[in-house]
Amino acid sequence: MRVAVVGKGGSGKTTTSAVVARTLARHGLSVVALDCDSNPNLGISLGVGDFETERLVAMREALDEGGEEHAPGWDDLIARFGSDAPDGVRLAVVSRIDNPEPG
Amino acid sequence: MLGSVDFQDVTVIADLEAGIGTLTRLAEQRVDAVLVVVEPTPKSLEVGQRAAALARDKQLGRIVVVASRIRGDADLATVAGHFPGQEIVAIPDDPAIVEADRKGVAPLDLAPDAPAVRALCDLARSLLPVPA
Repeated sequence: MRVAVVGKGGSGKTTTSAVVARTLARHGLSVVALDCDSNPNLGISLGVGDFETERLVAMREALDEGGEEHAPGWDDLIARFGSDAPDGVRLAVVSRIDNPEPG
Repeated sequence: MLGSVDFQDVTVIADLEAGIGTLTRLAEQRVDAVLVVVEPTPKSLEVGQRAAALARDKQLGRIVVVASRIRGDADLATVAGHFPGQEIVAIPDDPAIVEADRKGVAPLDLAPDAPAVRALCDLARSLLPVPA
């Protein structure tokens, strides 16, 4: 199942995404939370903590600046650029390049 | 990526970039549900309307309008007026969410029984696949 959460910045997207992700995980689903924001802070709302969220922010910035090699595949992306959040949710930061392509 | 990767048995929750840019670039039918999060302000509702229209045009599955920070019937009516015929879930304005944001912790951990958190949990449960 793929769920996209959209809206104006500050409307509550990240809070919504975080609670939905963890609740679905608590019901037995294998959940990956993708933070597609250029200032990723879904980690904080998920409960991974400041330090880990900052690490993911730095990773996103490195990706956008071309300093890091992009993950060749989905599993690799989750493994290399992701973080473990509570309730078994896997959090991944999606770079500008990985955001959906035009067309 | 959201549209092109085979996610097998994984459920993906994508917190998209603020605004509708990413949604605009998403290929048709590539997601199963879109949560359009709005608060009862003109700017937020305007973005939400454009997002809902795009989601419909691209047939992006079930569309749920998540009305945040609802303080009462008037707020809910304002949102409903902008999304006629749409499924709307109301999330009450809740100091627990503000407090979680201030403390940099998960609302689900800080206040699992807070009204807004419970409403979001109910929303999540409504997304669970129905057993075959």
